[in-house]
Amino acid sequence: MITLRGLTKRFGSTVAVDALTVDIAPGRVTGFLGPNGAGKSTTMRMILGLDRPTAGQALVGGRAYRELRRPLHEVGALLDARAIHPARSGRAHLGAMAHSNGIPTRRVDEVLDTVGLDGRAAAKPGRTLSLGMGQRLGIAGALLGDPPVLMFDEPVNGLDPDGVRWVRQLMRSLADEGRTIFVSSHLMSEMQLTADQLVVIGRGRLLADEPIGEVIARSTVAVRVRSPHPDGLAALAARLTAAGATVEAADRNELTVVGATADQVGDLAHELGVRLHELSAHAASLEQAFMELTADSVEYAGGPIEGGHR
Amino acid sequence: MSTQTDTGTRPAIAPAAGAAAAFRGAVAAEWTKLASVRSTWWTALAGLVVMAASAGQLAIYVANGNTNDDPADDAGVVTVGSVLIDSVELTQYVVLALGLLAITAEFTSGTIRTTLQCTPSRGRVLLAKAAVTGAVTFALGLPLGVVGVLVARPVLGEWGSAPVIDTIGDIVAVATYLALIGVLALGLGAALRSAVLTIVVLLATLMIVPLSLQEPDIEVLNRIADVFPGVAGGHFLAGDTEPYPPLGGLLLLAGWAAAALLLGRVALRRRDA
Repeated sequence: MITLRGLTKRFGSTVAVDALTVDIAPGRVTGFLGPNGAGKSTTMRMILGLDRPTAGQALVGGRAYRELRRPLHEVGALLDARAIHPARSGRAHLGAMAHSNGIPTRRVDEVLDTVGLDGRAAAKPGRTLSLGMGQRLGIAGALLGDPPVLMFDEPVNGLDPDGVRWVRQLMRSLADEGRTIFVSSHLMSEMQLTADQLVVIGRGRLLADEPIGEVIARSTVAVRVRSPHPDGLAALAARLTAAGATVEAADRNELTVVGATADQVGDLAHELGVRLHELSAHAASLEQAFMELTADSVEYAGGPIEGGHR
Repeated sequence: MSTQTDTGTRPAIAPAAGAAAAFRGAVAAEWTKLASVRSTWWTALAGLVVMAASAGQLAIYVANGNTNDDPADDAGVVTVGSVLIDSVELTQYVVLALGLLAITAEFTSGTIRTTLQCTPSRGRVLLAKAAVTGAVTFALGLPLGVVGVLVARPVLGEWGSAPVIDTIGDIVAVATYLALIGVLALGLGAALRSAVLTIVVLLATLMIVPLSLQEPDIEVLNRIADVFPGVAGGHFLAGDTEPYPPLGGLLLLAGWAAAALLLGRVALRRRDA
């Protein structure tokens, strides 16, 4: 369990993280989503006690990270796959980590095996590791202490399709074992496949914290209507607009309706006796849902708020 | 009544981690890190080479001074230990790189975040690094002293003496001095983060500033220079009884090293990693 309470970080006059209050629960994969510069990495660094919060607190299992003596048993984290000494081997890197937390060195071989790094790759100096191997090494480090809480910052960066699938399965199985999995990604499609719960932030503020299905369901679903009768279509558009939906005419024979379900549009067309050639609902992808959620925070970045348009 | 069982499927780990065990772990980690990069071993080798060269050259100066026509530079018969001690002035800059790199390389490569993830207590991390740096530089100081003596002795020839007990004492003193200088470099490195900046500050503190103070030979300035770590360490090594006993010089140097560590701890605690 990760608990954020009014977590705030300011760098000078910039607010990177703005009063974030979230509980990240065990037993599921929580996706951490936001546009670039939204404060995701800063939030993760504060959870790990690397950055000091300006206000509020971040707790892991009810305790501040800096109070933990052997934190690798409590939290495993992959932050930056590039953070390895250029001359140190991956095995020595993990060995030092293991020593620091009283973890037997045979565990190093276990996690190397888990992430699919063989002895030869683990013996290579850090500077020769590819980004993908660095990611695997970072994940190995996160697993070292067999912790109940795991955090991954952009874990699929630099991995090949096999690696991406492997990370996805790993996170799923770790969550199924009852662990708390908190993973950030800029790949919305990846989140759609992996996450159970979504925490979305923009400009450091919490925009959403809900099951992934709800985020998608709540977002816009567009209905496309095609008819060979432009007049009937115009009548349909008028009725839909009156009912509060937003209607856009793609051309004389096609409408795009937002704010009404395909069922409602179909019933209305039947009532009006309009012959339809197509009636299709386009479920929003997570990508669209994400764009809608963060639109305001991006808009806010673009310029001063004129006010009153909402 | 049924027995209550833990419903969690995760294997329970109960790390019985006392502060002492946590410190031992941090020390083991720091040693692994230091020993697993080749630059550590190259630095040690470079130290031996610089010591041999420096001790040889200084011994030649003594021998030449005694045999040339100028009576003003005659040093007479000197102990091999005194040549060794003078050689440390240059050799220390190679040795202190070990303390320096132990922390600045972590900032450069970004591994400081991994280190602090493993050991969140900034004080514990720095103390573990100090223990390893101190032990390694002390252990390196002993062979350095032996090499200095082995090179200087034959070069000095009739102008040198090597009383066994005194020479061994000098070698141990040199190792002690280098250990404290190494820790001083570590603490400063933690505070300043940059290797280059730390080297500049160390050069100024160990050599440039005290030399400038001593240059005009004014009593007050000399007394101020005596407080600087390099000068204090020099008084300790030379066994001077003025301006303070040798132990005073050692304690002053140790005080500098401790102050640098404290400074580094404050910086590590306050700054974001």
